[in-house]
Amino acid sequence: MSRDLSKVRNIGISAHIDSGKTTLTERILFYTDRIHAIHEVRGKDGVGAKMDSMELEKERGITIASAATNCTWKDLDINIIDTPGHVDFTIEVERALRVLDGAVLILCSVGGVQSQSITVNRQMTRYKVPRIAFINKCDRTGANPARVTQQLREKLDLNALPMQLPIGLEGDMKGVIDIVTMKAVYYEGEFGEKIREDEIPAELRDEAEELYEQLLDAASMFSEELMEAILEGTPTPEMIIEAVRLGTLELGITPVFVGSAYKNKGVQSLLDAVMYYLPCPTDIENIALDLDHDEVEVKVTNNPNDPMVALAFKLEEGRYGQLTYLRTYQGTIKKGDSIINTRTGKKVKVGRLVRMHSDEMEEIQESGAGDIVALFGIDCASGDTFCDDSVNYSMSSMYIPEPVISLAIKPVDNKAQGNMSKALNRFTKEDPTFKTFVDDESNETIISGMGELHLEVYIERMKREYNAEVQVGAPQVSYRETISQRADFDYTHKKQTGGSGQFGRVAGYLEPLEEGDYEFVDNIVGGSIPREFISACDKGFQKSLKKGALAEAPVTGVRVVINDGNSHSVDSSDVAFQLAAVGAFKQGYMKAKPILMEPIMKVSVEGPTEFQGSVMGSLNQRRGMVLGTSEEGNYTVIDAEVPLSEMFGYSTILRSLTQGKAEFTMEFSTFRQVPKNVAEEIVKERLKEKK
Amino acid sequence: MQKMDLADKNPLRIFARDSEGKPVDKRMGLLMSRPGLGKTAILVQIALDNILRGNKVLHVSIGQSLDKTRAWYDDIIKDIFAGVKLDDSKELRDEVLRNRLIMTFKEADFTRPKLEERVNDLVVQDVFMPGIIIIDGYDFENSAAPEIADLKDMADVLGLQIWFSALRHRDDDRISDEGVPAPCHDVGRFFDTVVMIQPEKDQPDLSLVVVKDTIGSVKPGKVLDLDPSTYLAKEA
Repeated sequence: MSRDLSKVRNIGISAHIDSGKTTLTERILFYTDRIHAIHEVRGKDGVGAKMDSMELEKERGITIASAATNCTWKDLDINIIDTPGHVDFTIEVERALRVLDGAVLILCSVGGVQSQSITVNRQMTRYKVPRIAFINKCDRTGANPARVTQQLREKLDLNALPMQLPIGLEGDMKGVIDIVTMKAVYYEGEFGEKIREDEIPAELRDEAEELYEQLLDAASMFSEELMEAILEGTPTPEMIIEAVRLGTLELGITPVFVGSAYKNKGVQSLLDAVMYYLPCPTDIENIALDLDHDEVEVKVTNNPNDPMVALAFKLEEGRYGQLTYLRTYQGTIKKGDSIINTRTGKKVKVGRLVRMHSDEMEEIQESGAGDIVALFGIDCASGDTFCDDSVNYSMSSMYIPEPVISLAIKPVDNKAQGNMSKALNRFTKEDPTFKTFVDDESNETIISGMGELHLEVYIERMKREYNAEVQVGAPQVSYRETISQRADFDYTHKKQTGGSGQFGRVAGYLEPLEEGDYEFVDNIVGGSIPREFISACDKGFQKSLKKGALAEAPVTGVRVVINDGNSHSVDSSDVAFQLAAVGAFKQGYMKAKPILMEPIMKVSVEGPTEFQGSVMGSLNQRRGMVLGTSEEGNYTVIDAEVPLSEMFGYSTILRSLTQGKAEFTMEFSTFRQVPKNVAEEIVKERLKEKK
Repeated sequence: MQKMDLADKNPLRIFARDSEGKPVDKRMGLLMSRPGLGKTAILVQIALDNILRGNKVLHVSIGQSLDKTRAWYDDIIKDIFAGVKLDDSKELRDEVLRNRLIMTFKEADFTRPKLEERVNDLVVQDVFMPGIIIIDGYDFENSAAPEIADLKDMADVLGLQIWFSALRHRDDDRISDEGVPAPCHDVGRFFDTVVMIQPEKDQPDLSLVVVKDTIGSVKPGKVLDLDPSTYLAKEA
């Protein structure tokens, strides 16, 4: 059975916390007739909305994990990929962006474009995701969709094009004017489910006509047909829709819609917009890497009859066992098929295949290209690619940032011990930015991730979902070491203790590497170190990088060049050269003037202008560098770069400094040298701990 | 090449010293041009010249976003670095970052009391002590002489330089006695230095023309050429 892919939409809904994303999703599911009651996110009935399936999310009122939900609107098959809204979870956002074809950017009509929208928008631009905007909460006091549209242009640099004009705002919002058809649309009935079209109210006529002209101007840039029709005076709504669609796909236009999900206004029109303007799977070019042919880039075909290629983008431990969410890019997965995980080479059997509606599921027999489904009982990590046995592709690997913060955890009792390791095992599979290991020296379990909140959420989940109570140590920043100048080494490892000895000499130099962590250059000529021992040298150097001599932090940004050496016909061995390399590195390292590097976060604080001075002062006190401020009315955004080590507990400080009126986001930016006096302190601290 | 060499090579160094050869610390400067001839680029170069000389720059951008303003700096730094070989361009880039602060305002939001309040905030909180303020995008057309006098007063009180940019209109040929064209013909007297970007007749070339300079020793007339592709100033 081949499906009409033009009737499929894989979309994401992305927004700042509290822009009403969950409520909107809930309403979408309501209108698409899958659920029959509407619950609020923080509902009084305690039932909670459908998409936030994790307990914790219900409590905090934010959406953390991305689940995929299927629904049907008119003859359209929509998969909604819910994307988390906090920057600490960006790997989840990015993975969701990878599998969706288009997105709805939700904005609050009062709050407008906030820092989180900026981050998400930047990610969407990076993954070239066509998007439409929905200005929600037009029923709230202070709603100003026109200002938000202007912010979309100025702050996000999008060609925001109003497709609707609200009829009344705040408490008076009655409906919207559809600029394409130039009709007023009212949402009536108890849940706004009855749609009534009418003439445009006289007082809004002029404004609507102005927007219509603006729409024609912008849309005609993308369609000659429309351009000609305008000249002849006969543009039809179909032509306008097609032109706007083309502009949206090219990322040249961002159509803007308005409404209030809470008050049931505008949701159906938004669903129509998803149908009209967002791409279907075949509109988007997706690239796989052919692992059998030097990772050559191949375009996936979307053809259900081609070899199967699918990406596992999300794992979830559900009530019924482990669920793996898959997006199929070509071919068809059938129940009972054998598929291969191209990362591990392992073959797995497709048992149950389901389509998810958050907590409820529907058994299906097969899933074709472009679809999103979930599989039961498949062992894999998220980000893995599955193929059938005729191809060996990997959906291009995504950039995964190194963790910047870590903390020690200790189970409170034996039972917690077992549960903890179960939980950690699961989390590391779900989230590649979450890592865990046991420290050899202290025997402590260390978890590391992208931020304080990131780790906090996992600790909470351990407690709730796995019943693993743990004691938590103070968070530690992940420092790095690097060298600041070139230094030579020439080291001979010699050991003679009866029997066969060990001998190896390695000479060369270390130098700073501008990009990348480590590079090994073999400039040996004339075989002064025999071929077979070169990789042992490389291994020895890599071993040395794990703990620098300065503060026992990992060493990065080093190029090691070897250009001379000696060997002994009997006493040289892999081990001897590995040890020689370790010695050589030690010899060269301190001469290369090592420096300590710390993670620097890009911090963005937004809030009322009156607090600008004290907020800047607080950032300054934290060794922060204020890069700039943008002031708009009484609202200011401050951008700064601040060392992560200084940001612990900042949310509390900020809250008390601004009476809770300001908020901040932060995102890893780069590693930068720690100032000398601070570095000395850190080195002293770390060495003391080790004693 | 070292950082001071770079400062010494910057063609805009002609404005760095007064007629006695001392570094200029107080000034009202004005850069005028028709739209699209690279006002911001020249202001950014003036800013960079000051950073290289150890001044901190507060760049006030009216009506433009933070990202766009930052992009101006990034592009110009890249263009400048492309032309010279520097010992440590990364360090220099960090230095620019440390010594520059960008503030953006909406057109309607910008007033002298507001700017003064912000600058005071910076100084009181010990965040940043600017030696020069760049004000790009000030609306001269709709502002009266007292407002400019007010801003001049602020430069005097705080003891710093302020450089403005102003947009000239093709069809407005009013001009002051000193040769300052509209829309600044009425306020020219508040400025110590007035410079214009002028296109050469029938050619793509641009040049920098000094209208007046009562602080330094630059004589009125054409002083520098501008590279039409990068908008960078170069020796005439």
